[in-house]
Amino acid sequence: MSSFQISITPSRRAAARFVRKVRAELQKAAVQSKASGGASQSDVARTIGVHRSVIHRELKGTSNLSLGRVAELAHALGKTPQFSLEDLPVKKGNLQTTVTVGETRAIDVSPRSSAPVQFYEVA
Amino acid sequence: MATLAELEARDVIFRYGSDGDEGKLAERLFFMSPRLRAWFEEDLPGLGSTWQIELSPAEQVADLIEAFCEGGELSVGRMFKCLNPKESGVWELKTADVRIFGWFYKKDCFVGHRADGAERIKTINLYPGYHGEVLRFRDGLDLDPPKFILGTDPDVVVSNFDYP
Repeated sequence: MSSFQISITPSRRAAARFVRKVRAELQKAAVQSKASGGASQSDVARTIGVHRSVIHRELKGTSNLSLGRVAELAHALGKTPQFSLEDLPVKKGNLQTTVTVGETRAIDVSPRSSAPVQFYEVA
Repeated sequence: MATLAELEARDVIFRYGSDGDEGKLAERLFFMSPRLRAWFEEDLPGLGSTWQIELSPAEQVADLIEAFCEGGELSVGRMFKCLNPKESGVWELKTADVRIFGWFYKKDCFVGHRADGAERIKTINLYPGYHGEVLRFRDGLDLDPPKFILGTDPDVVVSNFDYP
């Protein structure tokens, strides 16, 4: 039997994962804000100065999020983003060997980055 | 009659292999029909994005399935949804540009059969057709009954979900 995986590079896999996590945090903040009587998407849009549909697309994932926009959205939702980088864990014994003409190269296959992103309430 | 594992051993269906975190077993399972696997291999790489976002459709799908297999929180409506008629148990997994159609054999165990670009599906109204294809494939599978989970509540088919 054989399993199958869509082939994308580890760096793009890391990018997709990070984008997903950031967007999920923003979506969660937006839901919590609305549920607690805070800013709605319309309020956020007014604060930032765009149409509500722009915010909707950015939260839904059909529009890109710039770093600045992440901060704007967070602020409009009463949050501030925090960001840090961590070393990739190195998996021992997880070496792939490729053979090219005339040489053998060992490639260390490291898992993708799992840099955390968190949003904190604005003081 | 056969189990899902037996069908996998016979290459009737294929399991999606997810790297997951180090040493961590998959929290959920994603299986695919030969047809879906072929679409992933042949059509998905060249699929363009309707929204021109930074993640290609292939990257969107890879990330969605990775999040699924890792047991990550799934957003009802935004990442997965039960199709009408709901009692048929056909579900779709969603990204910005792609829809994957299949069913839940057991909780946290999805079997996908067809996929296509979201824009194309909506423009030509391919939902009924793909819905029917999933039903026919599932009915034709030599799989131990019950072949799918009855129930339209997300809690019945997946763990760890939320409503946006």
